[in-house]
Amino acid sequence: MVNSRSRTNKILFFYLPLTLMFTWTIFPIYWTINTAFKHEGDIVKRPLEYFPTAPTVENFVVAWNNVGFATFFKNSLIVGISTVLVVIVLSTLSGYALSRYKFKGKRSFLLMLLATQFIPRAMLIIPLFIIFKSMGLISNPLSLIITYTAVEIPFTTILMSGFIGNIPRDLEEAAAVDGASKLQSLRLVMLPLLLPGIVATAVFTFIYTWNEFLLALMLTNQQSKFTLPVGLSFMMGEFNVNYGALAAGSVIALIPAVILFAYAQKHLVNGLGGAVKG
Amino acid sequence: MKNLLKISLLLMLVAGGILAGCGSKDDGGKTADGKTKITFWDENAGPQRTPIWEKLIADFEEANPDIDVDYVGLPKDSSKSKLDTAIAADDMPDVGSVQTSWLPEFSIREALLPLDDYLADSELNDLINEGAVTFNKDVVRDGKLYGIPYTQNLDVIWIRSDWFKEAGLEAPDTWDEFFTAVNEMTADGRYGYTIRGGAGGSFQLQRLMFAYSGLENYFDDNGKSTINDPKHVEFLEKYFDLYKKNTPKSDITNDYKEMIAGFDTGVVAMVHHNIGSYGEHSKAFEPDQFEAIPLPKTEDGRYVAEGGNTINMSIFKSTKNPDEAWKFVEFINSAESQSYWNEQVGQIPTNADVLDMDWIKDSAHIKTAFEVYDNPQTVLYKPPFYLPDYRSILDNTVDAGTQKVMSGESTVQEFLDEWAKAVEDSEAKYNDAMK
Repeated sequence: MVNSRSRTNKILFFYLPLTLMFTWTIFPIYWTINTAFKHEGDIVKRPLEYFPTAPTVENFVVAWNNVGFATFFKNSLIVGISTVLVVIVLSTLSGYALSRYKFKGKRSFLLMLLATQFIPRAMLIIPLFIIFKSMGLISNPLSLIITYTAVEIPFTTILMSGFIGNIPRDLEEAAAVDGASKLQSLRLVMLPLLLPGIVATAVFTFIYTWNEFLLALMLTNQQSKFTLPVGLSFMMGEFNVNYGALAAGSVIALIPAVILFAYAQKHLVNGLGGAVKG
Repeated sequence: MKNLLKISLLLMLVAGGILAGCGSKDDGGKTADGKTKITFWDENAGPQRTPIWEKLIADFEEANPDIDVDYVGLPKDSSKSKLDTAIAADDMPDVGSVQTSWLPEFSIREALLPLDDYLADSELNDLINEGAVTFNKDVVRDGKLYGIPYTQNLDVIWIRSDWFKEAGLEAPDTWDEFFTAVNEMTADGRYGYTIRGGAGGSFQLQRLMFAYSGLENYFDDNGKSTINDPKHVEFLEKYFDLYKKNTPKSDITNDYKEMIAGFDTGVVAMVHHNIGSYGEHSKAFEPDQFEAIPLPKTEDGRYVAEGGNTINMSIFKSTKNPDEAWKFVEFINSAESQSYWNEQVGQIPTNADVLDMDWIKDSAHIKTAFEVYDNPQTVLYKPPFYLPDYRSILDNTVDAGTQKVMSGESTVQEFLDEWAKAVEDSEAKYNDAMK
């Protein structure tokens, strides 16, 4: 009796909401993948096809070759990976300084870091454009890497200082007693412990650069230098919504993010927990 | 540890060096092999139009081996802001595909090169549709020509001809017939019509209103807007009365995609858009299942179309190679290129020599559009493209107002009064600034 009630409860309050939430989340992704493998004519056909009856990779070929996703994908990877590397190095070091040292103006510095997040990005476009133009960096991935790094650094620094604050000082002191220098103890003692935090930071940064559209479009004047989000937006003209290629492009854009999350998931949950505790 | 630091610093430097290597340098518009390089920005790039441009550019480069055209495609929704940034930062392309509604603003910002003299000396002079060229001059303050129209569009109503035939109904010719048809086609889980209640709906609404009233001007002589003219009120009251009764409930958030999908999936019998969506419909239907009809005639039997429904080839003032840029503009506007472009896209060419080509005679929707533009009785009304906030009024005030009327929060009269006030204020501000 008791058993069956607890089973009902479990179904009602655990499995049912979970199933609903899962369906809610997964449906758009399923539909995108479904559309990506359909022939153009089948996409809007009634009755709806829940599975492509005659699956095709034609849409992927169109997106990859005709629309130029091969190039956009490469550009996005270059920008994403470079930004992640720079952000990790800089935010680990500055996060360390913020959490371990006491210095004058630390609080106002933190406040300033936060305040930079409040500036609407659209307002910065023309000034940024003029600056990068005078540096000869328009249509150069470096302009995006620099901007994305600057945008991400404040948040990731605060994130990292939280992680570092969680690691007991004793560990570093013990290392110092054993004769390790500051940098050695950072590298040998702190870095392995910080791995979840670094992964979390890297994932956040990568996803941001992977999805960012406005700056990527504005700071680039060459077809061959556009990134993926700009490429995706080509599929959504007033007169030419190419659902199949759009869906295929979205799936292509999704793949790295999914792989990244699958790999980083464990670290990510640990990492976020650490940051909150900090 | 020092090694690690050194290595990471070195890596960053190397990466920076490599990337900086691909930076653009000011080369005076010359490529490495001495060719003249011009950049061309396409304001509506995508898998459909980009290949057309690439082919035309390849043809142009073959005919002009000393000129190299660098194509940059821009997504339609962001191309205006991209051009705005480029003008503000003085980093414009040589040639651009520019919508007519942008001409007044770009000319005030002195971004474009006047093309009157170029056109006067060109073979194109008598070939390009005079109405469109005159409109381009009328719409800018200094009366100069800032763009050569290479394609025109026209609002039409797409109807399911097979359903009309089944029901024994004729395609509507007048507004009364239109409203009757909407009513009669609403049956068996089908809707007679679909309203664009979401983004972009304001532009279509305005064209319908003027098509109903037959008014030519947006303002009367006293600076009062004709938007809240009793005729417009009368029309919108009938029009929004269709909502939910004869149209899907979701119409209140309809934008282009949903609206067209409703038609193409066989949910609605009629949809108001322009001939540009022909490609979408032809993917969904057999040729005898659908057709384009002009917007219904006014009470006194005239067609009304919005002026300036064209896209132009414009040259930007900062170009270092205006003559090469003009060569490209001229090439795109030649009968051959215009014919290719417009046939692929399914729009109306402006070059008179194209009009006799076979593909035009064979495509019913283009012919329909011609009949409207060719009809001497047709009224071309003039929207105030020159108002800097014309677009934002339509996007923000009118789109939002449409939804308020559809949801019953305000009346048609209140909505049109608000719209009229917004454009009147803007007109007054503009006149003050230009004094």
